Amino acid sequence: MAIASDINPYQGALKGDNAFAQITDNVSRIMEAPKPPRAWYIAMGFSLMLLAMFGASLGFVVWEGIGAWGHIHPVAWGFPIVNFVFWVGIGHAGTLISAILFLLRQNWRTAINRFAEAMTIFAVICAAIFPGVHIGRPWLPYWMTPIPNQMGMWPQFRSPLEWDIFAVGTYATVSILFWYMGMIPDFATFRDRSKTTVRRLVYGLLAMGWRGSSRQWHRYERAYLLLAALATPLVLSVHSVVSFDFATSQLPGWHTTIFPPYFVAGAIFGGFAMVVVLAVPSRQFFGLKRIITMRHLELMSKIILATGMLVGYAYGMEMFIAWYSGAIYEQFAFVNRAFGNYGWAYWTMIFCNVLAPQVFWSKKMRTNVWVIFFVGVLVNVGMWFERFVIICTSLARDFLPANWGYFVPSVVDYATLAGSFGLFFTLFLLFCRYIPMVAMAEMKAFIPEGHAHDH
Amino acid sequence: MSDTQAIQAEAGPAPLHGLLAEYDNPTALVRAAKKVRDAGYAHWDTFTPFPIHGIERAMGIRMTRLPWLVFVAALIGLANGVLLQFLTNAWDYKWLVSGKPFWSWPANVPIAFEMTILYSAFAALGGMLIFNNLPLPAHPLDLKERFARVTDDRFFLLIEARDGKFDEVDTRRLLESTEPLLLDEVLEDRVTSDKIPRALIYTLIVAGAASLVPFAAFTAARARHSEKPRIHAIWDMDFQPKFKAQRANPLFDDNRAMRKPVAGTVATGALRDDDHMYRGRVGDAWATTYPAGVQVTEETLRVGRDKYNVFCAPCHGFAGEGDGMVHKRAETLGQGWVPPSNLHQEYLRLQPVGELFNSITNGVRNMPAYGPQIEPDDRWAIVMYVRALQRSRASGLGDLSEAERSGLK
Amino acid sequence: MAQPKHKKDMVADSGHAGDYVDDSIRLGDEANGLFRIAAGIGVVGIVLAVVLGGGLTHQQFQHSYLTAFMWGLSIGAGALWWVTLQHLVGARWSVAVRRVGELLAHSLVLMALLSLPVVVPMLLGNDSLYRWVSHEYMASEHVLEGKAGYLNVSFFAVRCVIYFGFWALMARYFLKASVAQDKSGDTSLTARMGRASPLTMIGFALTLTFCAVDFLMSLDAIWFSTIFGVYYFSGCVLAVHSAMVLALIWLQRKGHLVRSVTVEHYHDLGKMMFAFTAFWTYIAFSQFMLIWYANIPEETHWYHMRLEGAWWPATLALAILHFPVPFFGLMSRQIKRNKTTLALGAVYLLVIHWYDMYWLVAPNLHKEPVFHAADFAAWVGVGGLIVAFVVWKARSVNLLPTKDPRLQRSLAFENV
Repeated sequence: MAIASDINPYQGALKGDNAFAQITDNVSRIMEAPKPPRAWYIAMGFSLMLLAMFGASLGFVVWEGIGAWGHIHPVAWGFPIVNFVFWVGIGHAGTLISAILFLLRQNWRTAINRFAEAMTIFAVICAAIFPGVHIGRPWLPYWMTPIPNQMGMWPQFRSPLEWDIFAVGTYATVSILFWYMGMIPDFATFRDRSKTTVRRLVYGLLAMGWRGSSRQWHRYERAYLLLAALATPLVLSVHSVVSFDFATSQLPGWHTTIFPPYFVAGAIFGGFAMVVVLAVPSRQFFGLKRIITMRHLELMSKIILATGMLVGYAYGMEMFIAWYSGAIYEQFAFVNRAFGNYGWAYWTMIFCNVLAPQVFWSKKMRTNVWVIFFVGVLVNVGMWFERFVIICTSLARDFLPANWGYFVPSVVDYATLAGSFGLFFTLFLLFCRYIPMVAMAEMKAFIPEGHAHDH
Repeated sequence: MSDTQAIQAEAGPAPLHGLLAEYDNPTALVRAAKKVRDAGYAHWDTFTPFPIHGIERAMGIRMTRLPWLVFVAALIGLANGVLLQFLTNAWDYKWLVSGKPFWSWPANVPIAFEMTILYSAFAALGGMLIFNNLPLPAHPLDLKERFARVTDDRFFLLIEARDGKFDEVDTRRLLESTEPLLLDEVLEDRVTSDKIPRALIYTLIVAGAASLVPFAAFTAARARHSEKPRIHAIWDMDFQPKFKAQRANPLFDDNRAMRKPVAGTVATGALRDDDHMYRGRVGDAWATTYPAGVQVTEETLRVGRDKYNVFCAPCHGFAGEGDGMVHKRAETLGQGWVPPSNLHQEYLRLQPVGELFNSITNGVRNMPAYGPQIEPDDRWAIVMYVRALQRSRASGLGDLSEAERSGLK
Repeated sequence: MAQPKHKKDMVADSGHAGDYVDDSIRLGDEANGLFRIAAGIGVVGIVLAVVLGGGLTHQQFQHSYLTAFMWGLSIGAGALWWVTLQHLVGARWSVAVRRVGELLAHSLVLMALLSLPVVVPMLLGNDSLYRWVSHEYMASEHVLEGKAGYLNVSFFAVRCVIYFGFWALMARYFLKASVAQDKSGDTSLTARMGRASPLTMIGFALTLTFCAVDFLMSLDAIWFSTIFGVYYFSGCVLAVHSAMVLALIWLQRKGHLVRSVTVEHYHDLGKMMFAFTAFWTYIAFSQFMLIWYANIPEETHWYHMRLEGAWWPATLALAILHFPVPFFGLMSRQIKRNKTTLALGAVYLLVIHWYDMYWLVAPNLHKEPVFHAADFAAWVGVGGLIVAFVVWKARSVNLLPTKDPRLQRSLAFENV
């Protein structure tokens, strides 16, 4: 193989004689380079393999019925719902970075907000697939929507599962609107730099004739602010609604009033870990080290540490109140969680979510990309196990010993879980290559040259 | 957009659209904007790669009304979310769930909230686009090659010729005083066609027509009758690999799916050797009394009534007059129907209970057998209830006691 | 909230925005007047409460006093949280108003003292407030026997010492270090306070949670809710921002900090008030909805007391007065940027927060909502003492952390 192909087209000097042009060039050359770096192809090949596995395993489940998964009698929710909650949670950091950090005037977010938002959307796509298939007859999901039908029936709006349809649906829609709106000016940049007609047409359509008029910027900024203000309570509500799926029930281990904020904190925690996992290789391979700097990674590490503590607080409160409640079922559920059949899952969760982030107390660790990446992966594992612990441990041991069981996932379970990462990474890699990965316009507004010194 | 000037020349002289000044930093642009604002122009704008803070004030842009639009959309979304749930779950299709009231608002909060956000978000993006007059496919500035840098690193200021204060000399002087990198004339766009491309129109027509095909197919299918079974795209559990009763099964020699009991055996509880109880016969005649196992009590009568109302009343009517719902429906349809008997007829009143029991068990004339569906003691209870019904219509003064009779007088 | 704004990055060289140098940063004689009035009101209020409430150990006084005490505590605890948070995230916008927060947090020293009327009678075996103090009561229900390890008087006292000790210590630490910086200008103090903040935050989260469980949740010894600590916390945040707004407005009316604290700071405080009205609702609704939905007897009885009979309108009033009214009231940018309207909002939130505390405490005593005169006397008393204590401390310090390295940015901070 020729050595030339090993040369990463994204490293090296930037074009442009001013800071603005350099930002444009740094971000646009990812799309303009004739070929992405070799790592991209390797990653894409790997992702497509996983994606194929996802397709095959889901196809098998649809064909064979959900018996192909390892569900047993008391544990009817198994992997699909664990994966659903896991992926929805991953999605939350995207909105958090875009919306909440924006409202809190954390300007460092501009380096990572675009791809965090992309991550949100891809994660929500992955998430939505699982309950869609888990309903057993995936060709009938429209039954959950309020469409007048020949049966004269309406959905049951008092069911938290029905709330999920609205919450996740709204979340996906608003995330896409927010993402797209942020990209309009950057699509215009791509349009104006495109050399081929097809690209000019596609980016031109996406940019909708944006020409950067200040009168338009004024409304644009106001609309962006409003969307951010709307997305903030939305992101809180979505994972709260997901937590209601569990907490409205009477099952010990599920029915806990702290679930809504606890789930939100956990989602942000896991989501930030995923951002870190994606950011570390992205900046490496696409020459974005000048944009996603060590400072950004360090700040994200701090947030991971802080949200990890919040999650730890919730674990602790659950334990304390379970004891304090004096209710034997509550007490048993939590003792069983830590020392029962699935105790290993519980301690994996505690190790990954509570102990692992503690390394971030040290600045040395916070600024070591390997440590950050590794802890990010651990936290993702831990957050997956958190949902596993909540769902499987609680269901497997409820009130009556006659109703107990032990859930063992099937091969198809593992294949769907691994496969969902294939979908996520495939979408993400396509995004890296064809869509402005960093919010150029916003970034330019925040560098010192972007300020008008004349007030 | 190369060679714009040449194309422009071919298309004939275009009128002036405005004057364009170019700057390379936001500070210069803001200074220039203040000057133009103070000079009192109305139709002018600045173009920048990113939003510049303070330029609203420098240009005198007033606060947009967008927040109000979003607020109204939020209220509509909220109302919609509440109404949707109220109308569907508490009004149109009342659905009792875990003993909660039909209209239990705490459970309706999440969806009402999501709808509020959804509507507002659409209003924010949609309102921004509409107020900004986007999408805008073509603009005279697109003909300026340098203007492409507006999305990269350059800052522009445009004063349009349609402005009342616009004057080629004065306006140019004003802009020159702001020391732009470049000052240029922008001509009206006579190059870009404002016609929609033919290909696009044809594509839209074809796509539009094609999108109607499924609807046409549905309509056609609804209007036609077909003998063929419906298309079973998804089988669900409609076809199952199992043998039903009375079907053939090649697995056995006799090809029956159902197996006969082993010769000379009787299933537990299936011994029917009491003629009186199971066939209504005593010796060779119909039984005129109830069998020993059936107690003539109010309790039995109540069972009889319940069973009668389930199994008999659809045809014979609740009072036994042969006017049940099925009968009425059959009359309306007028497709030929042997009416069910009026149970108050003389011959039926005089029939022995054993014969009535037999009619229920094995059917009579058009009436099917109910033996397989109703347990024997329940059948006797029905007989008892029918007797009570008949008695109720055939009572006379003689049935009353002396005291009651005198009370009537 | 607001757009990111970069003016602050360039202020250091342009330096046009408000200089504190010609600003009044020390309290003058007017403080003595306020101190005397507030202290007088405070003492009279408490005494009246004792008299009207039927004596120190009477149920009515105990409940009225606990309501007022938890209300006052939420200001000090909220302030400690707020100050810790500013150090934790290295906030710049808030430096100009941080001293006021530090002074409010310092009121926790007073709150430690004010907890005695609740704790001492309990130590002496008085069960007029917490029924679990009585051994007979604890023996009466099976589920209660298991809780005796936590719900007993001596452990309660130990916990109180931990809570108030920790809070008083940290509140004093942040105030002292900040005041020391005024004199020495030592920027390493900023770094030190920053380093102290994460552990303070963790300690705060735990102490506040258990404090809420002990003082409020255990009024009903059977009831439990994991979110309860967060519920009380959300009220603390509302209370402290409202108190800060009022304190700043008073200071400015007396001619202090006139140039240092701008409408931008008020706007941010207002935004926090607005955001936490929504947050309180989120927490309160989550707690209520989950208990309502699951319908488990040992949980629902707590709401049952508040949703049945005469308490129902009072609960409905709380829901409306604590959410839609302040939410829509504080939504507009103009309202948050106008001192008069913002002050109205702050007073309103403090009142409604007291009502929230009343709603938590009073159903323990009354089958129907009765506003006893002792309720108001105790409230005014605790409020007066807090104001007096804070003013007394404030007289001896600057009202602005004058040597904080981030002060310049805060002075020039601007919302968009």
